[in-house]
This record gives sequence, structure tokens and C-alpha cells, in this order.
Amino acid sequence: MPRASAGVLVECDASIKAIIVKINSENQNIYIIEDIDDEHVLIQAAKHDELKARLNAALKDTVREPEESESE
Amino acid sequence: MSSTASQRALDYLEQLPGTTFTKLYQQPSTALAIFRRMLPHLAKTIVMGMLYMPTPFAAKDLESWVKPDNESTQARDKAISILTRLRIMFEQPGRDGRASYVLAPAFAKALRLALTGGGNHRSFGVPSTEPEKAPVTVEYLDTFARKQWEAILYYVVGSANTSLSGDVEVSAGTKQLLQKGMFVAMKGRQTYITKQGFEFLLQEINAQVWTLLIVYLEVSAELQMDSVDVLSFLFTLGSLELGVSYSTSNLTPTQMQMLEDLTDFGLVHRPSPSSTHYYPTRLATTLTSDAPALPNNSMPSTANTTATTNPATGSDEKGYIIVETNYRLYAYTSSPLLISIISLFADLKTRYPNLVTAKLSKKSVQQAILAGITSEQIISYLTTHAHPVLRHATPILPPTVVDQIRLWQLEGERMVAHSGFLIKDVGSAEDYERAVRYAEALGVLKKEFRAKGWFFVSRMDQMSNYFKSVSARRREAQLAGRGA
Repeated sequence: MPRASAGVLVECDASIKAIIVKINSENQNIYIIEDIDDEHVLIQAAKHDELKARLNAALKDTVREPEESESE
Repeated sequence: MSSTASQRALDYLEQLPGTTFTKLYQQPSTALAIFRRMLPHLAKTIVMGMLYMPTPFAAKDLESWVKPDNESTQARDKAISILTRLRIMFEQPGRDGRASYVLAPAFAKALRLALTGGGNHRSFGVPSTEPEKAPVTVEYLDTFARKQWEAILYYVVGSANTSLSGDVEVSAGTKQLLQKGMFVAMKGRQTYITKQGFEFLLQEINAQVWTLLIVYLEVSAELQMDSVDVLSFLFTLGSLELGVSYSTSNLTPTQMQMLEDLTDFGLVHRPSPSSTHYYPTRLATTLTSDAPALPNNSMPSTANTTATTNPATGSDEKGYIIVETNYRLYAYTSSPLLISIISLFADLKTRYPNLVTAKLSKKSVQQAILAGITSEQIISYLTTHAHPVLRHATPILPPTVVDQIRLWQLEGERMVAHSGFLIKDVGSAEDYERAVRYAEALGVLKKEFRAKGWFFVSRMDQMSNYFKSVSARRREAQLAGRGA
């Protein structure tokens, strides 16, 4: 019998997916329903926005911003 | 510029039922307004040509009016499609059975009345004969209209920037309307500007008025207000004369109700809420024409005090923003409204009497994107309001800045998400193939993971019916097999 699970299919780079998996494992696996392949994961629909915010926070730490010149 | 406004009105009108059109076209003012505002020139020519024709007009003859080259025939097809969509023209077999066109009788009659006069339809408004204690001047009406309209814009912008507020209070009804039209969104007790709200701000005033009025039309239909009454009153307003007072005596109860709402928008002015006459403002009288909706569109905020020192005023929407390649932005304006629009996507740095300097930064742009404003909207705002100095160059904006704004948006979108259902364990390879093909035919298939035998669909209801029927059939087959 076929099984269906509701959720949000997230399509992203392998590097971003690695971060998502890391966030998931650090948070008692509440985000990921199914780890599909290198570029796809199925996420809890209700947790999608939360994950997005966490991903952005994680990226802020890892991606170095060029310094803004404040001279007028 | 005006094309977007009439396009919106056209889209709205198109989805009305045919009976509404028949009723609408009873009013000469409506017929004239639609003729004047909604039709491309070729369509006008066709209507004028057919207006006094006693018999259906053969399609072949119509074709002979238009040059046979590609461009002209395209224009002809477009004109005919608009005319039929607005139920102005019908296709009808002529006497000899050839395809012919005929104008809708109600429309033709009303337009003839509007053009040549006659009849007692009063659809162009009834001028009030009552003497006015204090005569209302055109300048006064312009100031009133601008104040009311800017209050609405302030409310939309101010919802992102709570430190700002106009001196006119926006009525509760208008606030509700803005929420209904999704120009602002409520989060808790705080209101925020939305993507639509920003789009709304970017339009020129005439388009803004139409955008709001179309939301009004949609809401009024929910409130059981007669849409024919509402629409024909709007079209009547468009044909009234500025600075003349009109009597409310021939208005229906629905239209009296509308009068109050339109006063809130600044489309009409009434000396007192109970007075028996009203003045249309420039916002209303330009509804169905191409004239600018407000003189000096650059909207000086404190019109009476600083208007003379504001270089942006009077230059009639010439643009006031200079963007440099180093992401610095200079805006020649003293209007709090324009400043707060800029503050939606740029960091304000310094403010001088007639100039504001700001800087586009990754943070400011991404904040705007977070609020639902797209990079394209920011770019188009900067382009349309670019200072004349920038207009000499092509492209108008520095390409590095434009590209960077786009990149900043892309950066925020590292993952693409689809909500839906992941389906697993479909059965044999053959079953899987069939199910995927079925999903594809339904148009719900989003992604296939063939290696795993899984697939992802956007909607489940039809798929689950499919699986049920498959398993039912299988059970039947098994039963039949066992029975035999």
C-alpha cells in the first residue's frame, strides 16, 4: 500500500543541505521528515519558516560579509 | 503609465456577468467613460464607424478597413477582442449568413445619447442650484484631495515606519479596505506594508485610485451593494466638472453610502456630512481621462509652508533620486512620504532642507525583501523616479547597483520549497510508473525520485482516490481469481 507524508519539499545545494541536516541533528530531529538525496529533503511544513530563520542565522556566521565603509 | 490603471479596471470589468454590462450601459456617462478610457484608438474608430449603422457589419468589410500587414492585423484582433470582452460588440450572422458584427444595442444607444445629447438620463450629474455660503475653490479641492489621499499613502508607508503619521486620520473603513486589499497586513496589533502595498505606492496616482477603487468594488459586492450602482457612479464622477457642486438628489441609497467612503478617499468633498450637494475633486474628475490626477504629483507634504522651496514640486514628476555606483543615494525631496518610502529599502544618512542622502546596503535591501518587497520593485522605483541628471545615461541606474540588488535578493533564497506530499511504497516498478504518469497528467507532480521509487506531489486528494481505486481493483481481481 502506498504511503504519503505531508510536508515541504526543500530543494537546495548540497552544501546548504548539509547545514540543514546539521541544524536538524542539533535540535532533536524536529525538522526533517525524510532525507531524500543530496539536494532534497522533506521538512515539517509547520517548521519550515523556523528552519529558514535558523539557516539564515547559521549562514550569517559562516559567510563573511565585506566590511561596509561608513565614510561619507 | 495610465495603461496599468485602465488595465486593472478592464480586468475587473471583464469578469462581470453580461447582465451587469447591459444595466451599466443604460447610463450614457458609463458608455462614454468606457469608450473614452478603456478602448484603444482602433477600437474607438470601429465603434464610431458602426455607431449609426442600421445593419450588422460584415467581418469581411471590417477587415478591409485595416491594412493587411502583420502589425495592423494584430492591432485589429486586439481591438475586436477588447470590444467583445467588454460586451460592446457581438458577432452575429448577417442577413446573407456571413460573419458580421453588431454593437450592443444598449451601449450604442447610450453612447449616441452621450455624444449628441438629448434624453433625461441625468447620468452626467445634476448641478446643484443651491447657493453656497462659502464658495469652494479649485485650490481648496486640490488641497483637500491631496491631504486625504496622502493620509492613505502615509498609512500604508507608516505601517512600516511607525514614527510617521499624517495630520489627517485615516478612517476605520479605509483601513479595513487597505487590509482587505492586502496593502498592509496585521501582525498582532502592528500593521506592516506588504508586497502589494509597495506595488501600490510605486504606481502613479491615477493608477493608485483605480487600484483602491477596485478593492472597494470587490468589497462592496460582498456587502450586497449593487455593483451597477457603484460602477456607474464612479463613471459619472469621471465626467463631472471640477469646481462645480452637484446635487445628491438623483443618487440611490447605495450611492449615498459611497459618497461617504469616497469623501474619506478624497475623491469628493462635501461641505458637511449632511449637505445635499457635493464637489468632485481632481482625483475623481480624472478617473476616466489621461490628465494627471493631482497637479504637482511630487506631493509636497506640508504644502502651504514649504511648497515654494521644494524643487521637486511643480516639476511634475520629473524624478528626484540620484543613485551612484558606490550605492549612495541622493533624493531631492522634503516630503516625509517620499523619505519614508526610501527608508523602506535604504539606510537614511543625512537630511538637508531639500535633500536626503541614503545608502543602499545589503542589510537595508534584505530587510525590504523580508517585508515582501522584491528587488525588481526597488529597481523599478529607482528607475521611474530617477533624477533628470541620470536620465541622460543608458542604462539609467548604474548596472553594478542593479545587479547587486538582485544578488542580495538571490542570496536570501538558498532553498526552493514546495509544500505537498511525498509518496512512497507505491509497489512494483510498473505501478510506480503508472502512478507517476497519472500525477503528471493531473499536473500535480513536482519531483520524481526514481532511484528510490518515491515521488512528490503538490495535491493529494485526487492521488489518494487513484490509489484507492487501484487497490479496489486489485482486490476484486484477487477475489475473482480465488473464486475461479
